[in-house]
Amino acid sequence: MAQVSPHTRFGLGAALTRTEDFRLLTGQGRYTDDNAPDNALHGFVLRSPYAHARFKITDLTAAKDAPGVRAVLCADDLDSMNDLTCSTLMKQPDGSMPAPRDIPILCRDSVHHVGDAIAFVVAESIYQARDASELIELDFEPLAAVADTAQALDDGVAPVFEGATSNLAYTHFEGDKAATDAAFAQAAKVAEIKLVNNRLICNYMEPRACVVQWQPDDDAFTVHLASQGVHGLRDTLAKVTNIAADKIRVITEDVGGGFGTKVFCYREYPLCMAAARLLGRTVRWTSDRSEHFLQDAHGRDNVTTARMAMDKDGKFLAIEVDLIAAMGAYLHAFGPFIPYLGVSMTTGAYDIPTMAVTTRGVFTNTTPVDAYRGAGRPEAAYVIERLVDQCALQHGCSVDEIRRRNFIQPEQFPYTTPAGRTYDVGEFEQHMSLCMERADWSGFSQRLSAAKRTGCLRGIGMSTYIEACAFSGSEPAFMQLQADGSCVLKIGTQSNGQGHETAYAQIAAAELGMDYEDVHVQQGDTATLPTGGGTGGSRSLPLGGASSLRAGRTLANNIRTIAGRELQTDPDNIVLEEGSAKVRGGNEFLSLAEIAALGTPAELNTQGEFQQAEATYPNGTHICEVDIELATGVTRVVSYTIVDDFGVTVNPMLLQGQIHGGVVQGIGQCLMEHVVYNDDAQLLSATLMDYALPRADDIPHFHFETRNVPSITNELGIKGAGEAGTIGSCPAVMNAVSDALLREFGHGQIDMPVTPLSMWQKLNSLRDRADV
Amino acid sequence: MTVNGKAVTADVEDRTLLVQLLREQLGLTGTHVGCDTSQCGACVVHVNGASVKSCSVLAAQCNNAKVLTIEGLADSQALHPMQQAFKDNHGLQCGFCTPGMIMSAIDLVQNNPDPTDAEIRDWLEGNICRCTGYQNIVSSIQAGARMMQSR
Repeated sequence: MAQVSPHTRFGLGAALTRTEDFRLLTGQGRYTDDNAPDNALHGFVLRSPYAHARFKITDLTAAKDAPGVRAVLCADDLDSMNDLTCSTLMKQPDGSMPAPRDIPILCRDSVHHVGDAIAFVVAESIYQARDASELIELDFEPLAAVADTAQALDDGVAPVFEGATSNLAYTHFEGDKAATDAAFAQAAKVAEIKLVNNRLICNYMEPRACVVQWQPDDDAFTVHLASQGVHGLRDTLAKVTNIAADKIRVITEDVGGGFGTKVFCYREYPLCMAAARLLGRTVRWTSDRSEHFLQDAHGRDNVTTARMAMDKDGKFLAIEVDLIAAMGAYLHAFGPFIPYLGVSMTTGAYDIPTMAVTTRGVFTNTTPVDAYRGAGRPEAAYVIERLVDQCALQHGCSVDEIRRRNFIQPEQFPYTTPAGRTYDVGEFEQHMSLCMERADWSGFSQRLSAAKRTGCLRGIGMSTYIEACAFSGSEPAFMQLQADGSCVLKIGTQSNGQGHETAYAQIAAAELGMDYEDVHVQQGDTATLPTGGGTGGSRSLPLGGASSLRAGRTLANNIRTIAGRELQTDPDNIVLEEGSAKVRGGNEFLSLAEIAALGTPAELNTQGEFQQAEATYPNGTHICEVDIELATGVTRVVSYTIVDDFGVTVNPMLLQGQIHGGVVQGIGQCLMEHVVYNDDAQLLSATLMDYALPRADDIPHFHFETRNVPSITNELGIKGAGEAGTIGSCPAVMNAVSDALLREFGHGQIDMPVTPLSMWQKLNSLRDRADV
Repeated sequence: MTVNGKAVTADVEDRTLLVQLLREQLGLTGTHVGCDTSQCGACVVHVNGASVKSCSVLAAQCNNAKVLTIEGLADSQALHPMQQAFKDNHGLQCGFCTPGMIMSAIDLVQNNPDPTDAEIRDWLEGNICRCTGYQNIVSSIQAGARMMQSR
């Protein structure tokens, strides 16, 4: 990357307000369910009340005859459909590939988790469809079930799949076992930590939905659905339904949050397609909140033991991790890839010569687990950052000192980790020191004393996380100068609320010397854009932003060529500003509308594509302070400070918002969010009355700033930021909780979520221990 | 009833919720349904001037009532001060919770013209946002309150 200030070179960095806001603020947003025509039929999925059972549908007559019912679909009606498959099976240590466990669109004769789909009722109203679903006569034969990840592999536990000998879905190994064993054998000290990374449910505010129209003339479909990218969804739908991809138009307009979980094809989309074709009517389906809890992929759910070998100076020699990762009742699309993605970031920001990581994916009678808000990287950061604090304790130094001794140093870049990732740049100690200064780390003891006077324990904790974004690949951008002088920019990512319409426009408009509000970003329609990689892994700006820059720059050059031709001057003499092409130092100019009338189609339509060879690596320091009220066990985050390195900032306002939101997800996981299954694998936390989400009054005011070191992998220097807040936050909060307990009791281990009840119980057990 | 100042009549089933009437029969899809248990607040509208979760009131209960939804706030291209404040302070990301947040915020400011940070956070107990982390929503409401006072 050229050593020019990104500000002047790209026009990036301005805190511009969003072009998408007007419609979203005035109720004119177009979320999927808003697209349903008045006469659409409503679909409703009958779901299993049992976690594991054989079943038989004995009579559909009453349901089919119920008022308003137009169809009742069962597995037998879907013979032409394929199951939803997992695309990321992981190779096992012996070289074999594990057996797939695909998801039937409707279950045939057995169900494997509460919420597994049994039948699809289509009626004139949603009430009629729901009422009729209760008239379906079924015989269930309940079977033993397991929900607990840690117990799934125990002897005598019922298999999730009848006839299976164990619940082991697969084993995967990364690293060098011999080198790691040798390092542990010569270690002066070994730190060990056991952690549960609790299961979460995404809870985007917009429940999933779809609206499917069928065109009988050419046997084609238009499918409106809430997604993170229409092209991937179209291809999966084609595979599942055996309908050619060019007969399926997928449209996604506004999306009310996705967070990874809306990437996937879920059962209801092919079900609506089948019903629409059968009935020749538009069919809509909208998830309610409880269905979201039962059907949409869950996140996290790891049980981990991690050990670090250190020499006598506290220098890390090797890390060993044993990870049990819940897969749920089936292997979901990216299910096994998520823990792998975390494993690939095992060593974090530290110079650790070798590692040995064993992952065992396990089946339980639970909703399948897949990508959620960080997808493996929050889990990895949680393990390494909690373990590093344990190393400090074991070695007898401060948590910042153990990090200073072990950070990868700036002169070591490019640095290849034992997992094979190559970090391009990083200044970890610098952002840690800056963050400690901002958080007044050195003044903590006074705040501790003040908290004690109010009956609280206070703790301070940090995380110095690093994560991987964007990954190798590209996302082409297509620009067109319109007759009115505005521009259209088409790109195959998908805004889920991040502000793509503004961010891409901001980048392209700077090249064109025009107002960013005159660059109209279009996404989310397979009919108008041939391909697209969608949104996920914080890839949109690193890849799509760089492509938008290239498309904008090519268009700008073409505009200069057209203007030079018309005004009989060298294109280099043309400057683009204020929405026109002007002769440098002269009075002559052409408006962009005039340019549009003069240019050839080839000149007015440009494409930009930036290909990235390696991921980018955002990193930063989060520092958290917590108060634990001794009288009640209530833990509150009272202060939160963030200094991040995102390479280059496109729009600081959008960036700050994403970080705040991500951190609140982390605080939510640490203090309240928790999926609870009982021993029968019944989901107890199946509504927002039972599953706590963070509210405004659970959250402190944040201090956030960047200390950017531009990436040399990415053309714009951008590293990506969509998931960083979530990734950095859990270890910072839990290290603070642990610190508070350690200071008071000399023992600090507690798992997420630290609810008032769990803390109350912990405090009592620690007091009992102190009494002995 | 009147909705956004216009007289409206509709035949509804007894069990029809206000939010269903608004979305399905009147085509006012700016009011959103985010949960089934009256937790999320995406469906907040004003009924006779007070904020109400429209998923928790029957349409028939609003007979003769004055209902105001997010669509009725802006005066064509001129945003209501609270809407403008959300835009200026980046108080929204995906926008799904936003109509409920804004309707709720306006009710707060009508009763407390100069709310503190803590009062706003307390008031938002019934509105969940999954994107913003709330800080910019709180800033937006403070700015909106000032703009509403000076209007």
